[in-house]
Amino acid sequence: MSGVIGQAVSRIDGPAKVTGSAHYSGEIALPGLAYAEIVGARVASGRITSIDTAQAEDAEGVAGILTHLNMPKVNNVPLLPSLIGGPAPGETFFPMQDDVVHYAGQPVAIVVADGLEQAQHAATLVQISYAETPSITTIDQGRADAYEPEKIFGGLMPAQTRRGNVEDGFAAADLLIDAPFRFAANHHNPIEALTTTAVWDGDQLTLYDSCQGIKAVQLTVAALLGLSPSKIRVLTRYVGGAFGAKAMVWPHVTLTALAAQYVRRPVRLALPRGQMFTSCGHREEQEQHIELGATSDGKLTAIRHHKISITSPFDDWAEPAFGVASQLYACPGFEGVHRLVRGNTMTPTFTRGPGEAVGVFTLECAMDELASELGIDPIELRLRNITDVDPNTGHPWSSYGLRECFERGARRFGWAGRNPQPRSERHGNWLIGTGMATAGYPIAFFMHTQRARAHLYADGTAIVQTATQEFGTGTSTVMTQVAADGLGIGLRDVRFEFGDTDLPNAGSPVGSNGAMMVSAAVHNAATAVRDQLITLAVSDSQSPLHGADPAGVVVAGGRMTLAGDANTGETYSSLMQRHIMSDAEAIGSWDPPPLDTPHGLLTFGAQFARVAVDADLGIIRVRHMVGAFAPGRVLNPKTARSQLMGGMLWGMSQALLEGTHMDTRHGRWANASLGDYLVPVNADAPDVDVELIEVEDHVTGPLGVKGVGEIGQVGAAAAIANAVYHATGYRVRELPIAVEHLLAHLPSGPASAAAGAQPDLT
Amino acid sequence: MQITMTVNGVSHTRDVEARLLLIHFLRDELRLTGSHWGCDTSNCGACVVWLDETPVKSCTVLAAMADGRRVRTVEDLARGGRLDPVQQGFAECHGLQCGFCTPGMMMTARWLLDHHPDPSVAEIREALSGQLCRCTGYENIVRSVRWASEHEAAQPAGGDGGTGRQAGER
Amino acid sequence: MIPAPFSYRRAGSVAEALDLCTEYGEDAKFLAGGHSLLPLMKLRLAMPEVLIDLGPVRELSYVREEDGHIAIGALTRHHDLEHSEMLARVLPLLAHAAGQVGDPQVRHRGTIGGSLAHSDPASDLPATVLALDATLVARGPAGSREIAAADFFQGLFETELEPDELLTEIRVPVPAAGAAGWSFQKFTKRAIDWAIVGVAVQGSAVALVNMAGTPVRAAGVEAALAGGATPAEAAAHAAEGTSPADDINASPAYREHLARVLVERALLEAQSV
Repeated sequence: MSGVIGQAVSRIDGPAKVTGSAHYSGEIALPGLAYAEIVGARVASGRITSIDTAQAEDAEGVAGILTHLNMPKVNNVPLLPSLIGGPAPGETFFPMQDDVVHYAGQPVAIVVADGLEQAQHAATLVQISYAETPSITTIDQGRADAYEPEKIFGGLMPAQTRRGNVEDGFAAADLLIDAPFRFAANHHNPIEALTTTAVWDGDQLTLYDSCQGIKAVQLTVAALLGLSPSKIRVLTRYVGGAFGAKAMVWPHVTLTALAAQYVRRPVRLALPRGQMFTSCGHREEQEQHIELGATSDGKLTAIRHHKISITSPFDDWAEPAFGVASQLYACPGFEGVHRLVRGNTMTPTFTRGPGEAVGVFTLECAMDELASELGIDPIELRLRNITDVDPNTGHPWSSYGLRECFERGARRFGWAGRNPQPRSERHGNWLIGTGMATAGYPIAFFMHTQRARAHLYADGTAIVQTATQEFGTGTSTVMTQVAADGLGIGLRDVRFEFGDTDLPNAGSPVGSNGAMMVSAAVHNAATAVRDQLITLAVSDSQSPLHGADPAGVVVAGGRMTLAGDANTGETYSSLMQRHIMSDAEAIGSWDPPPLDTPHGLLTFGAQFARVAVDADLGIIRVRHMVGAFAPGRVLNPKTARSQLMGGMLWGMSQALLEGTHMDTRHGRWANASLGDYLVPVNADAPDVDVELIEVEDHVTGPLGVKGVGEIGQVGAAAAIANAVYHATGYRVRELPIAVEHLLAHLPSGPASAAAGAQPDLT
Repeated sequence: MQITMTVNGVSHTRDVEARLLLIHFLRDELRLTGSHWGCDTSNCGACVVWLDETPVKSCTVLAAMADGRRVRTVEDLARGGRLDPVQQGFAECHGLQCGFCTPGMMMTARWLLDHHPDPSVAEIREALSGQLCRCTGYENIVRSVRWASEHEAAQPAGGDGGTGRQAGER
Repeated sequence: MIPAPFSYRRAGSVAEALDLCTEYGEDAKFLAGGHSLLPLMKLRLAMPEVLIDLGPVRELSYVREEDGHIAIGALTRHHDLEHSEMLARVLPLLAHAAGQVGDPQVRHRGTIGGSLAHSDPASDLPATVLALDATLVARGPAGSREIAAADFFQGLFETELEPDELLTEIRVPVPAAGAAGWSFQKFTKRAIDWAIVGVAVQGSAVALVNMAGTPVRAAGVEAALAGGATPAEAAAHAAEGTSPADDINASPAYREHLARVLVERALLEAQSV
């Protein structure tokens, strides 16, 4: 082992990204490239009564237009989450197969032209008439017909979670907390819009696609079009952010392939920002209702946690709200129920921290309320309820670290000595408060076999390949480290290749699984090559290592030596040259433990926030956030910290800003732009500190990695909401926090009441 | 219509439609794809380039409006095979993840340091607040700009290649 | 999104701009920095047939002191107003408000004339020139005329300008010695954004951003101040005569509350300057 794992290595893609030479999916130079533009349905429900493309077809540069009248029929493909490793359409519905409109923005035509400006203009010239029917686009509109699905999350998870007897638990409680919450829909809005470039060569299709899983794209397009996967190659080197929007494979990808087939030219489609709100899913509008029962010493006796959310006409999709919420605390009775409303929206999808970021918010706000009611410090309340075993199964955690997260996070934040009294600190117009929350995120072993290939040349350099990809998380950097470590060679001697479906299989790096599952395969491939050569050396009478125990040989800098005797050994190069070997190669594979592995599987953390609330305006500014996380082994603290800090800002954004609102008159999103869908800018960002607590994990693959992609967000919004309570005495009941509701609870009155108050809105 | 502009020191003449936006001209006509397009509404700043001496959102400038003028993009930040300190800062301090917003961020950061060599954290945050990053949480971006500032102070920039390190305020 | 097709003409001088405007009539629109017009054109909310680009017109970019007032060329960019030493000295309200417009990149392109002629009640400068009792100078085929800021803004995206007129100059009286106090308060949810509500105060003149279809003077506040009211008392009248919008950012009631709080803070700050 070279010790390169765990080092704060700078990104290997940094130079390409800072020089502008990194080419994203919309930047592949191709001769004869045409540009596509989708026309979205103007109404949310109804039928197309007429569609006239004559004027658009006559417009300058137009190469072809597809509508339901001339679109080829595609196969039905069931919705399965991309982490499983098969076809993963974002919704089972495929557009332009008939004249029915299910949701506003549903693709009803795709226009292809020589230039982008021509395609965009011609798209405005397609004349479509609709027979509109009433639509349901909010929970309120469909509440009366809400139903309990059997399964959610693409059929992957049961819609209900139960353990023990909640009624007994509530009967045994000294205190009940009953809190309803509402959550606006969220849209991921990666800065790079979803972009697909499709190129046919005979019956061979190449896709350059801005996605989270190239294999998922390959398999989904193959299934929809009835093609063999061997006919489809997906190449994706750089992706401009994803956050779940690119985890599933949305219709526009296949539409672009069909458009390219139709016009017999390469076609590129980059979704305009407005269409990003109706093309790649969203976090569903939802309500959650939580009831806690507890004894007077703060021990939970029962949790009832219900969610209702709105889904599409086709799919029973809800993000699972109580995976983590059912596991964090040793509470004998738990009941979680998802209910759904069918509405005229597209199928919702994973959004960063899927389900858990909202479910844990609900639980952790209720826990804060319980702490207040009982007069127990919020950390102490959690310490009285946390558990060394998964309360759903009784299995011990694969690794834990939550107590250390509380302890180190609290120390870093300066939690000790906090005055629990709400509204106890005021500076000028600003009411100051602090809050905390527990964080957790599941480790989901749903993926299939992961593979990687390691190829070592006789000069001691290597190429390591797998069909994973990089969308900003740092995968390519971390995998280079893992490969170098496994091979026992220097970082600079490894080239990590990825982003090509022709390479050995890797699943979509979603659900915080990327580092864990891909590193396992890469590690196994690299160490397999290493072990081949060690085996050769110890059996080679000319080798200084002849006769040694292979287990006693270590490799560093491309040189095999006896452990504890660095002078006895030789380099890979000398061994390979002697054997006239130009290279050595191995495929490494890794299968996750069975789903019923006798271990509790969560990554843990603790979040802390300090907020300032303007007493007269109600506006909330987050001043400081601290997150302490125990993500197993940290492969690269630089990339891991950045992921976590980014996630924490998502939590702040979830708390304060992000919400997509439905205009029910038209059944359309009212704020479908980055001007109206607010995400934080640099000046909004607070000081953020991250504490990394390394815990040993022997279940989650050979390196003991858990994950950092989502947990940074989980709990962050709750810490902020709890800090808002501490600052103001107002219990947050909706996200994003409605300043107008908060204001009604503030000590309003003239600003001059605050002595020496200076206007300061920053 | 025919336009001529000097991009990164090289003059280009093209026939374009009047409605073509500068960002698409740079990306599709000149194949300078380091500048990105992200939002349509002048909010995200992935498209920031310099027009003459100042950073602008090139999605809100017609290519025709840049006729006869100078444009500088991320492809021109590195000079003589050496990365600009701002580029080094972003690479070193992990001021990027997916990298999509990075070129625009760096073009503004370069301008900021040209005019305010030692900006405070608050000044950096303010200067970069017309540009969105969804990945990093911004903290490392601020550190990257500070890194560049500190390293430039220690090692003054060499001769100006020509497209503009001079003060651009009128 | 790329705008719908249009014809593009470029003017090198004010005279040329007016000639082009006469030639194309109502089908033409002037293009200054483009940061108000181009976003509307991308969304097809504006579809002019001809754009007359004022980019090469140099003669309208200036800030100078004239007889008792400050004259500002209509094509002066926000960035230049923000950093004008003269404005910082004589009209700090305008310099400060210009520095609140959009974001740094927008301020490098956007012009004061473009912002005023666009007449968006949510933008910062219309209310500012209203509080400053500015006079706007428009030039048309028949020559120049002066329009009081109070008469200029007619509604959302509507001004007193005739289609063949070009806004050329903004004249701002130098505040009297007793009216030097100023404040600009802008309320946004996100650090950099359009104002949900804003307030510009110069002396005892008070104008509101985004409280009606146009920027408005807070007449009730000004009358109360004239009658000797304290800032707190006067601010209670801030929402009188306004008609704030109801949108996803705020309800009318919340905007009215914001106006009262921000006016009080602005008056207090102006007093302390």
